[in-house]
Amino acid sequence: MSQSPGAAGATPRFEEIPHTADWSFRVFGREPRELFANAAHALFALEGATPRQNAAEIARTVEVSGLDYEALLVNWLSELLYLQEAYHETYHHFDIEFLSPTALRARVLGTRLGALDKIIKAVTYHNLEIKPTSEGWQATVVVDV
Amino acid sequence: MIHKQSLERISDWVWQVPQSFRGDMRAPARVYADEALLDDALQDESLTQLVNTTTLPGIVQYAIAMPDVHQGYGAPVGGVFATRWPDGVISPGAIGYDINCGVRLLASHVALDEIAPRLQDLANALYRNCPSGVGSEGSVSLSAKQLDDVLERGAEWAINGYGRRQDLERTEERGRMVGADAAAVSKRAKERGKDQLGTLGAGNHFIEVDRVAEVFDAFVAYRLGLFLNQIVVQIHCGSRGLGHQVCTDYVNDFQRAVREYKIALPDRELVCAPLDSPAGQAYFKAMACAANYAFANRQILAYHVRRSFEEILTGAVKNLDLFQIYDIAHNMGKIEEHTIEGARVKVCVHRKGATRAFGPNVSGVPTDWRDLGQPVLIPGSMGTASFVLVGTTAAMEQTFGSTCHGAGRVMSRARAKKQVRGDKLRDELMARGIVVRAGSMPGLAEEAPQAYKDVSRVVEVVHHAGIAHKVARLEPLAVIKG
Repeated sequence: MSQSPGAAGATPRFEEIPHTADWSFRVFGREPRELFANAAHALFALEGATPRQNAAEIARTVEVSGLDYEALLVNWLSELLYLQEAYHETYHHFDIEFLSPTALRARVLGTRLGALDKIIKAVTYHNLEIKPTSEGWQATVVVDV
Repeated sequence: MIHKQSLERISDWVWQVPQSFRGDMRAPARVYADEALLDDALQDESLTQLVNTTTLPGIVQYAIAMPDVHQGYGAPVGGVFATRWPDGVISPGAIGYDINCGVRLLASHVALDEIAPRLQDLANALYRNCPSGVGSEGSVSLSAKQLDDVLERGAEWAINGYGRRQDLERTEERGRMVGADAAAVSKRAKERGKDQLGTLGAGNHFIEVDRVAEVFDAFVAYRLGLFLNQIVVQIHCGSRGLGHQVCTDYVNDFQRAVREYKIALPDRELVCAPLDSPAGQAYFKAMACAANYAFANRQILAYHVRRSFEEILTGAVKNLDLFQIYDIAHNMGKIEEHTIEGARVKVCVHRKGATRAFGPNVSGVPTDWRDLGQPVLIPGSMGTASFVLVGTTAAMEQTFGSTCHGAGRVMSRARAKKQVRGDKLRDELMARGIVVRAGSMPGLAEEAPQAYKDVSRVVEVVHHAGIAHKVARLEPLAVIKG
């Protein structure tokens, strides 16, 4: 699975990487904020999350911290999984308002969860890497399913 | 990636990556496999992940990969290692997010021909009564105090109303991990757990009605209460969102702990803390709580299974009783004593996708069966056989009283979904006489039998290597999945 944000030929938001047991994806962004937003898009797309029909929009503010960018990415995605399961919601818009190597604040829009194809149990640090590329930024993430 | 030429052959069933393979190894790494299963293990990162676990401070003897090993995160699935108490470490990522994912086996007094006409109705009742699938909520509503009780008392909490004393006697740790402290579990983990008790979840978790298709050891089978064509039921599930959150919380906390304790690691998912440190103790208390939640979860699901049998079979069979054979954990860290180089040593055995397999006359085996060894339950992939075995003295000597846990994946979920359609797979299973009730067809496709190793081959390895002893083979009649 891969998902492109725009016109044909544009860099996709993310792509799946084969993994024997769990799920792995590579996510792209022109700059770190877009990378973090696209990682969230990847998470919900891989789960096959669909909103409940005619559900009202929900807005949440998410704040997380971490030792470095990698920890911050794990904690950001983990926080979204927690919110999804605790409040039975799914999210489709991620506005990263503030990002430093150790802190993130985002405004997230979503709705009540309709259905999921798959539960992602957790976001891991395994093979986690965030690095600059010639086109921007790239991260590799493994999730436990 | 590790190549075959890097391995030394120890015996017909055991290979070893020597400690000299990599400079950061503190112990060798052993693999239990036949040639074909070893080739499977060498195709992904399984053995690199196993070697990574040998770098953990305090590791004793060697790390072990079971024949069902496959690539995971941090430690491989199908990995076992032990760290010395008190200065060795405990690593949440080497135990896994689904803490105490495990299997319970219930056995009936009836044979297949007695229930065959009602099998569809039974599958429907199980699907209806046992909440499954994504977002499922349990039938048990818990106050904050009651949830804390569940976390500290496990299956024992659920016995009044949902089971019987014999169930506890036939559960690993009697269904209650000692040392659990609900104060070590975060508010977030408790929020995730408050409405999920008594639910199956999704993924590879299932309830399966089986028949005993083959008996390998008639004496042990008789003692356990198993007979040919007998109807039995497996329940495979874990600690749900609560366990996932406990592991997430402590993998995050331990990112700092490894800096504090100056522990260098090849993989951040293996973060750890000394067993006797405040951080290590806090995780152990929380892990024990999640394990207790899983024991209680399977206890309540067992209640729903018994209720379903009564609902459908009352009047149709003479004896409706379902008695427990055993309940075992697959993902756990346990404080145990083992003989290592002639001395009794207290260790923390990390089993991730591996089963405790204590041999005869070992404390912890149910009293009734102490002379036989602990029952070991090995579920196969969907639509294939499962096995009942017992633990052995050789397992105590070679593998810290451990053996394999299942078939082990060989194909990614994405590839399985490309190759297999869920509805077609369901039709194929039904054509073989297996009733399938599943909430998600893509989810069913991911668990297709071709995505897994041959469980019979895996079991042959542990049997011939002596780290478990075959008792009976089960064949599926009905599969209930989320």
